[in-house]
Amino acid sequence: MQRFLDPATLAGLSGLDLVAKTVVDGFVSGLHRSPDFGFSQEFAEYRAYTPGDDLRHVDWNVFARTDRCYLKRYRGETNTQLLILLDTSASMSFGSARVNKLDYARFVSASLCYLAHEQRDAVGLIVFDEDVVNYVAPSTRQGQLFRLLHAIEKAETGTRTDFTKPFAHFQSFLKRRGMVVVLSDFYEQPQTIVKTIEPLRFRGNDVVLFHVLDPQEIAPSLREPALLIDVETKDSIEVSPDYVRHEYRRKVDAHIAELQTRARAAGLDYFLMNTGRPLDEGLREYLAVRQGRM
Amino acid sequence: MGFLAPWFLAGLAAIGLPVWLHLLKQHKTTPLPFSSLMFFERRVQSSIKHRRLKYLLLFALRTALFALLAFAFARPFVNSTTVASAGGGKLFVMAVDNSFSMRQGDRLDRAKSAAAASLSSLRPEDRGLILALGSQAHLMGEPSGDVSVLRGEIRAIQPSDDHSSYAELAHALKSLSQSARMPVEAHLFSDMQKSSLPPSFVDLELGQGIAFIPHPMASQTLANFAVESVTAPRRLYDPKTVRVQATVIASGGATGRRRVSLWLNGHELASKPLDVPADGRATAEFIGLEAPYGMNRGEVRIDSADAFAPDDHYYFSIERSDPRPVLFIHAARDGRDLLFYRTAIESSRDAAFHLEAASPDQAASLPLSRYAFVVLSDVLEVPANLEQALRSYVRAGGSLLVALGPSSAARKRVPVVDLAIRDSGSTSRDAGHFEIVATLDAAHPSTHVPGNWAGVKVYRSVRVEPGTARVLAKLSDEMPLLIEQLVGDGRALVFTSTFDNVANDFPVHAGFVPFVDETAHYLARLDDRSANLTVGSYLDLRTGREPSGSAIEVFDPHGSRAMTLAESTRAQNIQLTEEGFYEVRRPNSHNDLVAVNPDRRESDFDVIPPETLALWQNTGQASRAQQARGTEQERKPLDFWWYVMIVVLALAVAESLVGNQHLAVDKEAA
Repeated sequence: MQRFLDPATLAGLSGLDLVAKTVVDGFVSGLHRSPDFGFSQEFAEYRAYTPGDDLRHVDWNVFARTDRCYLKRYRGETNTQLLILLDTSASMSFGSARVNKLDYARFVSASLCYLAHEQRDAVGLIVFDEDVVNYVAPSTRQGQLFRLLHAIEKAETGTRTDFTKPFAHFQSFLKRRGMVVVLSDFYEQPQTIVKTIEPLRFRGNDVVLFHVLDPQEIAPSLREPALLIDVETKDSIEVSPDYVRHEYRRKVDAHIAELQTRARAAGLDYFLMNTGRPLDEGLREYLAVRQGRM
Repeated sequence: MGFLAPWFLAGLAAIGLPVWLHLLKQHKTTPLPFSSLMFFERRVQSSIKHRRLKYLLLFALRTALFALLAFAFARPFVNSTTVASAGGGKLFVMAVDNSFSMRQGDRLDRAKSAAAASLSSLRPEDRGLILALGSQAHLMGEPSGDVSVLRGEIRAIQPSDDHSSYAELAHALKSLSQSARMPVEAHLFSDMQKSSLPPSFVDLELGQGIAFIPHPMASQTLANFAVESVTAPRRLYDPKTVRVQATVIASGGATGRRRVSLWLNGHELASKPLDVPADGRATAEFIGLEAPYGMNRGEVRIDSADAFAPDDHYYFSIERSDPRPVLFIHAARDGRDLLFYRTAIESSRDAAFHLEAASPDQAASLPLSRYAFVVLSDVLEVPANLEQALRSYVRAGGSLLVALGPSSAARKRVPVVDLAIRDSGSTSRDAGHFEIVATLDAAHPSTHVPGNWAGVKVYRSVRVEPGTARVLAKLSDEMPLLIEQLVGDGRALVFTSTFDNVANDFPVHAGFVPFVDETAHYLARLDDRSANLTVGSYLDLRTGREPSGSAIEVFDPHGSRAMTLAESTRAQNIQLTEEGFYEVRRPNSHNDLVAVNPDRRESDFDVIPPETLALWQNTGQASRAQQARGTEQERKPLDFWWYVMIVVLALAVAESLVGNQHLAVDKEAA
């Protein structure tokens, strides 16, 4: 089953819905049974009331006995809201193999949408590059999954020179606490990235950064000097294999390490997605974060 | 700077290879799209430059490698300038001529004194070397700065009987100049004989770095008479018929009547007056020489009364012996072969042989060892005991000449020699058909004169299969006429025709007598080499008949052994360095007495003209003017290709390292 999670294999599939179904089904069949997975109305736990909780879930019997407000939770009520922020900047079009970074990000997005939809979670999508390109509000309504997959399917690479610009608008789209998954290659200074994304965390959202990078971006290999052209800025620079082998790798590793450190410090979950690796690692990360919210 | 082999500079064209590889076939950078350049900095360019610099370093190494390789093969040299000033030493070479002509008057003493006096100019940093000049330049010692040692070496120079050679001196000086690696100043103390100059002036060239200063011990020519040569047979068989001819030469304007006397073993046998023309020659002939048996010491003297007496005599050696017997075995029915052969051998140059004829039956009872050689002339039946005796005789070192005729044609094989007889190629003499001698082995004494065989018609010959035997003469039908077969230690010649003027007409040709004479001397192993040699020449000691490792003793004119015992068992020859008689004693009693006389060119006292001497001096680079200034600059070509090759090797190693590093980068990137 593992081969169905391979990006190159998935790229041969005709539609995102099929891709998402294949990924998730394959992924789920490989998991052990999880007690947090199901849709029964079985009692799960009591949780202390916090402002904003729906008063309909308060157990008034307990309140009568103890004079304290508790919410009675059932397993079927562990749904949450997932908002996926998909970066379609020009740099996402880079790929050294059959699947470029944007394709990989779309596969992951579709798979997350499908998985969340199957869990009755409300799923939304924001496609952005220099600005918000597309927005699908989170919902559990009938047909939501197809709207999402359609939006993901249509996502094309645009242009961007400023990472911070689209994030200024995202606050207005977040009306409810939930999970925010950001899929991007994060070509910006880590400090700036974290500073830009950090506000999403303030309203109780769990933010997961999926750092999508091509293997050639992590450890490029050059046999001879090459003239590299930035796909976003069209700047060019001539580099030597020696520099790429030493200096560049050191810089990229430092960038990843700093981004990871700063993200964790800001309460953001960080996960490096190597487009040369299977997609289930991203799904596993998502589930781990979601479990933490229960 | 110059090049000894400039054509190799064409190899510089190979530089085009790295030029093409590095500059023309330059790598083209392919543009590659990349997601972001935020991790690349402008300072990356320095890395590219560094890498390009590596490329340029590799290019420079390769270019220099090819260039220096071509440079090394072109054999570059520089003219190194040696400044011999007050601080630099010189090698003073004092060459003292001690040749035969320096015995005249006190020439040698004056030369030695002058050489010793010249040593006073030696400075502490200089070195001196003493040479004794004859036909070769003899070093009297090692180069030394000690004047007393050098003077001792000069005193040790003794007069010799050698002929001086200025070409040898020039050659020795050039060798010394190359090995000494310091300026050479050569002084020659000699009578400057014109006859000591080589035929070509080029042989006198001294080369660069040699200052040559001649010190003539004689300024003008000297009138002189000398016995130039004596012609006498080596062996004497008939005292009454022998002729001794002596040639007297006059030089330096000498002329007049001289008395020539013939001496033998210290006794004057005859004398006669001889008129010698000015600067010419005259020959005196003595007929008859009553010499005792054995080796005799002959001498021709003149009463020259000139200023140089040592050349007024000439030694010669002569051996008195009886004619050696030759056994002629033939069928008694016809005596023509005996007649022709006897006439020929008794008419030969020195009547060294007398012929004894015998029938096969008579010969069977004769002691063969007393004969110089045996002739077996067309014998039909060879008695078994005779053939056995002949076989033993030849195997022991004797010689046999077999002539094959009609009687032999019936045989299956040649007696003693055992060569197979095929058949008889016969033609009637009346029919006019004949064969001529077509091929001759010029290296053999019997056939080395082709004229002896010209016009010889062979009507009948016996066809013999030569096998591995040496064919000395072939007929026009490719049939062998004369064959040599070695049997044991002996020699056997097979003449496939007869000596009777029937089967061929060779006996009536003029070449028959020389053929018989040469063949007889060859078969009798008579050594025909001259017993009169010149000082400085070499005498072959081994004749090939001595047992291996046997000692051959040589006694010089003073009666002393000329070689040590170890040398006498190994030496193949010996150089004759003194005038007089050398006695050679061999283990098989084949002793020799060799007369040795100085080279008569030494008797010509004509001196080298001053202009020729000046020309010789100028072949050395340093001139007297430079000498006078006390500071001289000498330029020597210094060939330094070897150092260039070392640099090439170092470059090759460096190129390998840099190139390997470059390739390693690519491999890792791959």
